[in-house]
Amino acid sequence: MLPGDLKYAKTHEWARLDAGANVVTMGITDFAAEQLGDIVFLELPKVGGKATRDTPLGAIESVKVAVDLYAPVTGEVVEVNAPLADNFETISRDPYGQGWMVKIKVADAGVLSGLLGPEEYRKHTESEAGH
Amino acid sequence: MSELRKTVLHGRHVALGAKMVEFAGWEMPIQYPTGIVTEHLKTRRFAGVFDVSHMGRFVFRGSGALAFLQHVLTNNAAALDAGQAQYTMIPNEQGGAIDDAYLYRFVEDEYLLVVNAGNRKKDWDHFQAMRAAFGQVEIRDESEVMAMISLQGPLSKSVLSNVLKSGTLPEPKRNALGIVEIAGARVLLARTGYTGEPLCFELFVDREAAGPLWDLLVAQGAAPVGLGARDTLRLEAGLPLYGHELGADQEGRDIPIFACPLAKTTVSFSPLKEEFVGRAALQRQHEEFKEFLLHDEAPRSVLPRIIRPFAMAEKGIARAGAKVLPAAGRNITGYVTSGTMVPYWKTAGGKLATRFTDEVGMRAIGLALVDSRLGVGQPIRVEVRGRAAEAVLVPFHLRSEAAPYARPVLHDSPEAKGPAAPAAPTLDKVQMLLDMAAENTIWRQRECLNLIPSEMTTSPLVRLLSVMDPAFRYAEHKQVRAFYNAEIFYYQGTDFIEEVERMLEDELRTYLGCTQVETRVISGQMANTAVFSALVDCASQIDHTVERRRLRQVLNHPILHGGHLSAQPMGALRDYIARDPKTERPAVVHFPTMPCNPYRTDVAACGELLERTRPELIIFGKSMVLHPEPVREIRAMVNELGLRTVLMYDMAHVLGLVGPHFQEPFKDGADVVTGSTHKTFFGTQRGIVSMCSQPEDARWPLWEAVRRRAFPGSVSNHHLGTLLGLLMAAYEMNYFRNEYQTQVIANAKALAKALKRCGMNVAGDPALGYTQTHQVLVEVDYAKGPEVARRLEESNIIVNYQATANEEGFTAAGALRLGVAEMTRFGMREADFDPAAEMIADVVLRNRPVKDAVRTFRRKFLDMKFCFTGNEIETRMEQLHRLI
Repeated sequence: MLPGDLKYAKTHEWARLDAGANVVTMGITDFAAEQLGDIVFLELPKVGGKATRDTPLGAIESVKVAVDLYAPVTGEVVEVNAPLADNFETISRDPYGQGWMVKIKVADAGVLSGLLGPEEYRKHTESEAGH
Repeated sequence: MSELRKTVLHGRHVALGAKMVEFAGWEMPIQYPTGIVTEHLKTRRFAGVFDVSHMGRFVFRGSGALAFLQHVLTNNAAALDAGQAQYTMIPNEQGGAIDDAYLYRFVEDEYLLVVNAGNRKKDWDHFQAMRAAFGQVEIRDESEVMAMISLQGPLSKSVLSNVLKSGTLPEPKRNALGIVEIAGARVLLARTGYTGEPLCFELFVDREAAGPLWDLLVAQGAAPVGLGARDTLRLEAGLPLYGHELGADQEGRDIPIFACPLAKTTVSFSPLKEEFVGRAALQRQHEEFKEFLLHDEAPRSVLPRIIRPFAMAEKGIARAGAKVLPAAGRNITGYVTSGTMVPYWKTAGGKLATRFTDEVGMRAIGLALVDSRLGVGQPIRVEVRGRAAEAVLVPFHLRSEAAPYARPVLHDSPEAKGPAAPAAPTLDKVQMLLDMAAENTIWRQRECLNLIPSEMTTSPLVRLLSVMDPAFRYAEHKQVRAFYNAEIFYYQGTDFIEEVERMLEDELRTYLGCTQVETRVISGQMANTAVFSALVDCASQIDHTVERRRLRQVLNHPILHGGHLSAQPMGALRDYIARDPKTERPAVVHFPTMPCNPYRTDVAACGELLERTRPELIIFGKSMVLHPEPVREIRAMVNELGLRTVLMYDMAHVLGLVGPHFQEPFKDGADVVTGSTHKTFFGTQRGIVSMCSQPEDARWPLWEAVRRRAFPGSVSNHHLGTLLGLLMAAYEMNYFRNEYQTQVIANAKALAKALKRCGMNVAGDPALGYTQTHQVLVEVDYAKGPEVARRLEESNIIVNYQATANEEGFTAAGALRLGVAEMTRFGMREADFDPAAEMIADVVLRNRPVKDAVRTFRRKFLDMKFCFTGNEIETRMEQLHRLI
């Protein structure tokens, strides 16, 4: 089940806005984790670096493939989930909770517009899986 | 995905929850719910089962089939007998690969070629276009009527054994084939695979039988493995994949077959292949390859780049297509052809006791097509997401030679460096060495049950004589015809040793019942080498201007049936055996064994073999030996056939048993007897060659050649101290022979029976008392031999672990080889082997340590028997001691 309070990118990242702090937390979706299979490598950005919407922010690799991790929003990286590098299984076990990856400080709360809602994202994954 | 093809096992993959993907037009499982990493690890530690029915399977029949295959494939198909398989290439005229393939000859009149799924149509069209010139060749595409299942990993053998209805597993050699029945279906069974596993099988069955067979293998515990782990397993094993390491490279050019390490071994230039496709181009590659093995600076016009394994030295995973850069500089030096992160079981223990722990490691590795001037150990850089990450060229990622496991080899393992010698002042080290030598002697001489059949403690007299002068001297000598064949010595001060040698020859002649003995060779292996060299010398006597001709055909016992290492091409025979022009392998054939008793030669089957192969040399004798050799029977057959075959008996193990209680080799018709003098014989560690020949005999030139190949052929100084010791041992043996030999054989039978009573699995024929020699063979569990032998050692019981005929080499040994000769010498008699067997069974069956009990037991057997004692002897010994 896709959490209803999140927004989703077509590149399979999710984003959650903490409106009070203007911080967006992001990770990858259950669907993405399932598609990747066994994750064997994760590269997260440096804290203090800049995140630019729709450009690579890091990378995630499984045995079979390497994919880029795209920033869903523009802003400054304020925190990364470093312990994930030793516990890749957390990503597929709890992708929307402990499996979060990066926190990005954004200028304003409007940044999530343009991302998909849960229902739109579900349709998007169905069309991808159908290929 | 509706138009994709489905294998007959498709429904089972879906039911197992596999993730299905398109692969070469097929809908195939990329992984099951456990995932690629787990599937990889399960295959390496337990067993994996793979549906490879998508691969193309072509069957070739007809009178022109062999000639056709010789023309369109790189390997020498004529080398395959029924029951054998080979890896091969389908070459193009430019020396590149149209595809790689495996050729199986399960039955005499049919070849089965397995090709890549993605190349099936291309290969088929290629064959159709080529076939016209080859008379009667029938090619059938049986990909759809036959299914193919691969079963790989250390437990694959037990999984198969458990489901086998009839037939036996193919002999434990890669590429051996068999036909068996499983679950009512006929299964073509091959010891082949694509994982690097030393225990590996591929099964071909009718389509209808595939489902039940798959279910049976899964029920036996084989883990289903998808294409994802199939790829990581083959990559770790360094095996090429068409489209990556073979076919077109990143820049669209053909990868030359000789650029691919495994592929190049498939190319044969045998005259039997005549003008095959790509021969000229491959010959150019071969020439260049040989050149640059010799000189780093040799030109690289046809092999500018070759495939090499590499390991990442820093974080990052190299992927296929990534650029490879030199350690410094920006010129592209090649491309990654395959790369990923693979898991491995971490190990503990080290050396033979190395075992997998439950901890898993990951390593980023790959294969790359790189500048052929870059060698192993060379640092490189690999582009990983826009960054040049450090990597290193390595010789391999995995080794398959230590069955039953494929072992990961890490490029940065601390084990590779080995332990450093402790640093200490020299005088401390001197004292430490003396203490250690005393400790070891006390342990082995007073506290252990020494049951290694190739070992013997020499008597105090023999030991003492071995360190006296002339232990440090030279006494080279050679017969000179100008002096009526007198032995002329090259050094002075040698009268004593000349006398000793003459007396030793006398004693041994008496012992063996022969007329000639050569005593200068200093080991059994050297004795064999001298004989092989002499045979080559004799075969080339007529014309000394040409290269000496090697032995054309030799009949021996293979190593897994107990044959001596020194009778094998991998041992002393290496430089003296010709290659069979048909198989391109050393021209050795093996004694057949009885189906019911693999330790006994099937004499009846030897007639046909002798007639067909007409060996120049037959080597009797084994290091795992329970019976006398059929020398008399084979001699009769050889004479009957009018062959000039030399019958050589390597009696290394049983030299001390020569006589009516065991075997009299010369009476039975042996031409040459070799042996080592320190196993059942009482001697110091040396070798001998003996013959029964007179100057007028046809074999006399061979004897003369043996003398030449001993000196100057093999030794200069011949360890004169141990020669002196051996003379005393020969006196002991001739004096105590009857009593000793009777006791040894009685003791071996007693040990065998006692072990059997204790519930151990004793090999051999109970009707014969299991053994007719000093040896007893006990089967423990598969591959448990080394571990059990180590446990016995911890309890002061010293034995050998031994691989049997069904096992894949010494690390997979499932038996123990025990010998009673040394303990017989220390006075053990039949009844003493009851408590000894109990202690062995305690350790082996009940894992109960018995070190203290063994120590106490051994105290009863400290005095050497079958040697000379008495006051006159003691006095002289003391005098010799004072002289040291």
